[in-house]
Amino acid sequence: MALKRVQTHVQPTSVATADAAQGDQAPDWQTLIAHLQDPQAHTRRWAARELANFVHSVPHLFTQLDRETDLKVQEAIFCSLQSLGGPQVVEGLIARLNSDDAGIRNTVIEILQTLPEEVAPHIQDLLAHTNPDIRIFAIDILQLLAHPCAPEWLLHVLAQEQHPNVLGTAIDRLLELGTPEMLPQLNALQARVAQTPYLKFALDAAIQRIEDTSNAG
Amino acid sequence: MKQVLIVDDAVTVRLYHRHLITELGYPTSEAENGVEALEKAMQASFALMLVDVNMPKMDGYRFIEEVRKNPDLQSIPIIMISTESEAKDIQKAYSVGANFYLIKPTDPKRLQDLVTLILGQSKQEI
Repeated sequence: MALKRVQTHVQPTSVATADAAQGDQAPDWQTLIAHLQDPQAHTRRWAARELANFVHSVPHLFTQLDRETDLKVQEAIFCSLQSLGGPQVVEGLIARLNSDDAGIRNTVIEILQTLPEEVAPHIQDLLAHTNPDIRIFAIDILQLLAHPCAPEWLLHVLAQEQHPNVLGTAIDRLLELGTPEMLPQLNALQARVAQTPYLKFALDAAIQRIEDTSNAG
Repeated sequence: MKQVLIVDDAVTVRLYHRHLITELGYPTSEAENGVEALEKAMQASFALMLVDVNMPKMDGYRFIEEVRKNPDLQSIPIIMISTESEAKDIQKAYSVGANFYLIKPTDPKRLQDLVTLILGQSKQEI
């Protein structure tokens, strides 16, 4: 299989990585895959960075991410995945919203926020996920997702969602993203949240913020 | 005056917890993530921290680990407050150094009772 090189070669940054690169010659894909499991963290980190140049690296980067414990190597893997982009990366990142590692989950959310067009086809499935934590992460993604449908998706959550923490997260995001046109939907929630003190407080705060912003404008 | 640091990326949660804590008479400071919280913790004295789990830049577990490693901060009581309610989540919080764990949405009386218990003074005594 011919492996496509997608970017300009990045020079290695340490003695060990320079050794691994074997002089001036750019490392080949097989060498980098092998170095991705090197006992030395700085070599794994360099290999992870270099693999951003090869589109077929995605499954290998995810495999290493799942067993990697060094934060700097994790960071390099995430940078390469973000650089490579594409549907395979987005699907792999979404699968890791279930990670037991909160740092992984939060980095996944931050990267997905930067890929609006690739993430958009998955949003409705995520918002309908059986796990409420995944639905909360979907709303976290929407917070900074520069997609024209984001407000509409949040309003759909307001109308359909029953779980208090998912609903609370949606209200929280609308405190910043909400517009005066959304006030009828927010006001319609008052009765539903009246028995949950946090939700009542959050909804009042969101409505107040939108009204204040509208009056100031 | 004993001050409480509230660490959460959700604006409405910070506002709500601030409301509940100030009702008890304690001043608060707020941070949106673990990085900002560590900076604030190094600059001021806090008697208690309320910490969320999922936050950008530095999550709540990692923040607590950093606090527990720091001789100047390691004795500050920490209440972790999260939407995650499984036993493994609660165990993880205690394993990194949280003293208490509350599940969102926060029960106002439960939080206020716990804060009063930890800080050792009722509103009237301050």
